[in-house]
Amino acid sequence: MHHLKSTSWWPTSLLLSGPLLVLALVVYLFGGEVLQRILIVLFINLTMVLGLQIFMGNSGVVSFAQIGFMGIGAYSSALFSMSPQAKAMALRNLYSFLVPVQVPFVVAVIIGGIMAALVAALVGYPLMRLSGAAAVIATFALLIIVHTVLINWSEVTNGPRTLFGLEAYTTLWVSVASGILFLILALWFKETRLGLQLRASREDEAAAASIGINIVWVRWIAFVLAAFVTGVAGALWAHFITSFSPLAFYLPQTFLIISMAIIGGSASVSGAVVGAVAVTAIFEGVRGIENAINISTVFPFTVSGLTEVCLSIAMILILILRPSGILGSRELPT
Amino acid sequence: MIQNNALTLHVEEITKDFVGLRALEDVTLSLHRGEILGLIGPNGSGKTTLINVITGFLKPTRGRVRVGDTDITGWPPHRIAHVGLARTFQTIKLFRGLTVLENVEVAAVSAGLSRPQARERALWALERVGATHLATIPAGALPYGEERRIEVARALASRPIFLFLDEPAAGLNEQESDTLLEMLTPLPRETGCGMLIVDHDMRLIMRLCHRLHVLNYGRTICEGTPNEVRHDKEVIAAYLGSGRRMLPC
Repeated sequence: MHHLKSTSWWPTSLLLSGPLLVLALVVYLFGGEVLQRILIVLFINLTMVLGLQIFMGNSGVVSFAQIGFMGIGAYSSALFSMSPQAKAMALRNLYSFLVPVQVPFVVAVIIGGIMAALVAALVGYPLMRLSGAAAVIATFALLIIVHTVLINWSEVTNGPRTLFGLEAYTTLWVSVASGILFLILALWFKETRLGLQLRASREDEAAAASIGINIVWVRWIAFVLAAFVTGVAGALWAHFITSFSPLAFYLPQTFLIISMAIIGGSASVSGAVVGAVAVTAIFEGVRGIENAINISTVFPFTVSGLTEVCLSIAMILILILRPSGILGSRELPT
Repeated sequence: MIQNNALTLHVEEITKDFVGLRALEDVTLSLHRGEILGLIGPNGSGKTTLINVITGFLKPTRGRVRVGDTDITGWPPHRIAHVGLARTFQTIKLFRGLTVLENVEVAAVSAGLSRPQARERALWALERVGATHLATIPAGALPYGEERRIEVARALASRPIFLFLDEPAAGLNEQESDTLLEMLTPLPRETGCGMLIVDHDMRLIMRLCHRLHVLNYGRTICEGTPNEVRHDKEVIAAYLGSGRRMLPC
């Protein structure tokens, strides 16, 4: 038998999670509160990009619906984590059977993930028959539908108004745990039988069908799993920011996450990590510069939108110079 | 997967109409396990269409496809694959972003094997086509001649009971074609599969196949051993115009 290096997920896990853990530890020990908050956002964003990578990276089908699942995770976890008193304040018209319900934070987060996965499971099967531009349009429509429901279902979301009164349960280490856990999950999933079949279907649908791959089925599983991960990320974000409205789960956040996947290279988990770190760094760096400019009143007007401009330029440059992202389909350390 | 050595694949009176064109008309043939059947005919005679109908990529307008007693007409391709039918494509369709090994492994995985079992099966299939040394290369980086072999290995890795090869010798030179002949000849005997091969390489077809089935304009014009077919007047006329006496060999 010829000796062949088996495609294993754990060396990459160690190589990617090691530096992230060191970064978290350094910031925890020596960084101020601002830096810690930036890092929490980084790890939540990482969780979200990993959710996107699990589906889009392996199947090659672009999904614009992910941030909708983030919203579902955020609101449904809030309904289960908030105290009855907080609900009475923030959600006046909440269904009475939901008012006394309160579960531990971790359980509420998992419920958030499960709710997102349930919605994905229900609407996903017909969507999975699509690919290319049709999939983009259909998942985009799904994002709009979820957004519209969140705005109008005021019994559980407080409508377009801000939902407030959540406890700030998401600490730095909670976000780190989520980022690392789903990093390992994404790497493992890629090498499972299903992950391999999904990647084959990404490369050639006809050939995949000819060897017995049920493309709609494998895509559907990945779509539901990805929605769970994104729902968890949404739940964590909700308990970090503690007050939010449905506007948080719409186009700006969608483009942020997709730009992370594109810049890093969506076909690999390493690319998702690199993209999340790079984009969060650009985003926070430019925002700092923008604030400094505005405070110093160098210009007679307020500078705004600099972050979006810089991200767009970064994305355009990547699409021109390296269309498959910084890492393409490579996993570190190869 | 159906594991019955007595199984035969029956194609019964298949007709396939495209808009304004009858691609196949009442084609009937059977393929037994352990035999090599050559499907030949001029360009546009319906050979690839017939493979597409059998493997589920096209639905026939009329007629049935059966494997033993199981009627698989109109099933989606992935279900037909699970019955034990595997194919290659005239235009090569490899998973270019995956390694050669993964290309073959995924077929074994899809036939129901675990990842370690699939690894073993894939290495067997690669060895069978003489491509073990290419295992770690991305399929997108393969030279043309090697791509065909990997497609055959991928089809073999699912341990098919019927194997359909669509022009495996296209673009190969004489020496490569001889290597292909050596590789394909023992397969049905060793794996027990029935093999249907479409190709224009008559040197290969005449030496490889036990039986030939000839199509012209979507209709069967001749069936028989290579020797019978070579001397058939209608076949010679279809291929070469009526002036010539014998197919080249």
